[in-house]
Amino acid sequence: MSTDTPSDTDGIFGLGYRAEEKLFSRLKQISAAIFVVVGVFPIYWMLQASLTTRERASSSGISWFPTPETFTLENYEVLTNPDVALYVINSIVVTLGTIILVVLISLIAGYGLARFNMPQKENFARFLLLGYLFSPIVLGVPLYLIWQNLGLLNTRLGLIIALTAISMPFAVWLMWKYIQTIPEAMEESAWVAGASRWQGFRDIIIPQTQPAIIAAALFAFALAWNDFTFAQILLPANEASTFAPGVFRLIQRGYDIARVDVMAVSMAMTLPPLIFAYFMQSYLLKGFQIRSL
Amino acid sequence: MSDVKIRDLTKIYQDGDDEIVAVDGIDLTIDDGEFVTLVGPSGCGKTTTLRCVAGLNKPTSGTITFGDREVTNLPVQERDIALLFQDIALYPHMSVRDNMAYGLKIRGFSREERYARVEEAAKLLQISDQLDKSPAELSGGQQQRVALGRSLVRDPEVFLFDEPMSDLDAKLKAELRPVVEQVTDEIGCPTLYVTHDQEEAMTMSDRVAIINDGNLEQVDPPKVVYEDPDSEFVSSFIGQPSTQFFDGRLAAQNGSTSLTISDMEFDLSMSSADLNGYGEGEHDIRVGIRPQHIRVSNDPSEGINATHILDEPLGDETHSFFDTEFGEVIVVTEPEFEGREGEYGLVLDESYVRLFDPVSGDRVA
Repeated sequence: MSTDTPSDTDGIFGLGYRAEEKLFSRLKQISAAIFVVVGVFPIYWMLQASLTTRERASSSGISWFPTPETFTLENYEVLTNPDVALYVINSIVVTLGTIILVVLISLIAGYGLARFNMPQKENFARFLLLGYLFSPIVLGVPLYLIWQNLGLLNTRLGLIIALTAISMPFAVWLMWKYIQTIPEAMEESAWVAGASRWQGFRDIIIPQTQPAIIAAALFAFALAWNDFTFAQILLPANEASTFAPGVFRLIQRGYDIARVDVMAVSMAMTLPPLIFAYFMQSYLLKGFQIRSL
Repeated sequence: MSDVKIRDLTKIYQDGDDEIVAVDGIDLTIDDGEFVTLVGPSGCGKTTTLRCVAGLNKPTSGTITFGDREVTNLPVQERDIALLFQDIALYPHMSVRDNMAYGLKIRGFSREERYARVEEAAKLLQISDQLDKSPAELSGGQQQRVALGRSLVRDPEVFLFDEPMSDLDAKLKAELRPVVEQVTDEIGCPTLYVTHDQEEAMTMSDRVAIINDGNLEQVDPPKVVYEDPDSEFVSSFIGQPSTQFFDGRLAAQNGSTSLTISDMEFDLSMSSADLNGYGEGEHDIRVGIRPQHIRVSNDPSEGINATHILDEPLGDETHSFFDTEFGEVIVVTEPEFEGREGEYGLVLDESYVRLFDPVSGDRVA
């Protein structure tokens, strides 16, 4: 009487367990392939279009693959176009500013929520997340009016503040919950050793919140770099614009900017997030390892 | 070095409309170099008391003095104490060496001075070859040694322990106890050790302070607490297996007193003066005796009638469980003893009988 060979008809569709496992494995692979294709194809399209010559692109419409004759890097020259260059720089400045502000504020707010008590703390935290109920466009008009009053329209600072505010609920929540997992005993032992609360925060808490800091930074990066809505609303003037609305306008006005140039710039703007996320991955993991103590 | 004086320490928590009295007017003095253990069941207020001494909790009233310094309102950073935590709380992102040197770094010691002290402490604690590792690579016992080293290098004025061995297994505890004693001897400062494990209390302390529900029941050297408990609580808390209790009747007349339990009668050789107001008349009384002093007789009519339930053989002795009219009674018997669920008589050794008031639990005789 053998009990270790699975029956040959107990699996799904009347297949045996082994066949069932193989079937699921295949299905997993196929769905993964579909996701990859759907996700990567637009990027691939961008890439190959940006490397194709202008004539080839406009003459026969769609090109699937840059052939050796039509392969060129000349489209990337558009990055030296002063308008486009400005857009790129603005995007970089705004994104960096947002990341720094988000990390700083969420660290302090998260620490406060994690370590101190205040009346209605839970309700306050839930209220924070309410902000995400709104579609950004709903906030558009009031934001414009307020920013106009404050003189923040068309300033990079103004956009930084707006984007920081949008990133805040998630970042604060993340920091709060993460710092909560750090036992108070660690800070207390630093205090016993003579460290002030600030020193304890600097030497004990911050080094251990690395994964959360990186996660918040990545979130802010993604939000700020790709932002179209707020940049469009708060930076109506061309000079201040960031990349997303900037290129959009360029295309709209039907300027002499060829499709391949747009592809080139878009490709250039897609690379930083990819690289950023790739390298941050290892820091994220290392941080998680430390906390497993 | 100095002593620690805790005077009338009270801590009350507000929970909505309710008041929770965690610590109720505790008075305790720890002399220079003395090792005092605060024991009691979970929730009795011992950790709260310790944290007030450390400065991590603010007392509702009372004073704490280190030598001639009143520290009641001083923040923890300025008290110059060392505190060992239950969950050890080493800094996971620093090496062992940096963990131990952190306190000195905050105090402004130079690198050479810091590391020299760390090397010295590591040698004493036998962790010299762990110094460059990260805490995650160490075992629980080694981590606790590092925590000890962290405190040792700072040469504190008072040494506090918050149930540091609760997370360790029995073998590690036995290994670490002498290390703790060594370190506290080395520093020579007053030590307050909090635990719920009465064995730790008995083995390590100069004096044991037993807390029950926020109140200090007795503070005495281990032997005294064991043989001369002030209350029923102390008697039942200290010692393993715990004191067995019986309800009896005390009858005193003309200088002689007789104690009746079930159908056993003793003539106690105590005068009425020794009996604290129980000297005249008849009283209900609570009788406590340690299981080591109960003799098991094969004659069920001798002593208290008992039916054997089971044996727990420990090798060098056996803990035998009996069912009596007073409930379950545990007796420490010979290693070869086998009850076989028979009927026996439990005979109490008079000289080890302790009498307690059935209502207040206070020791009568």
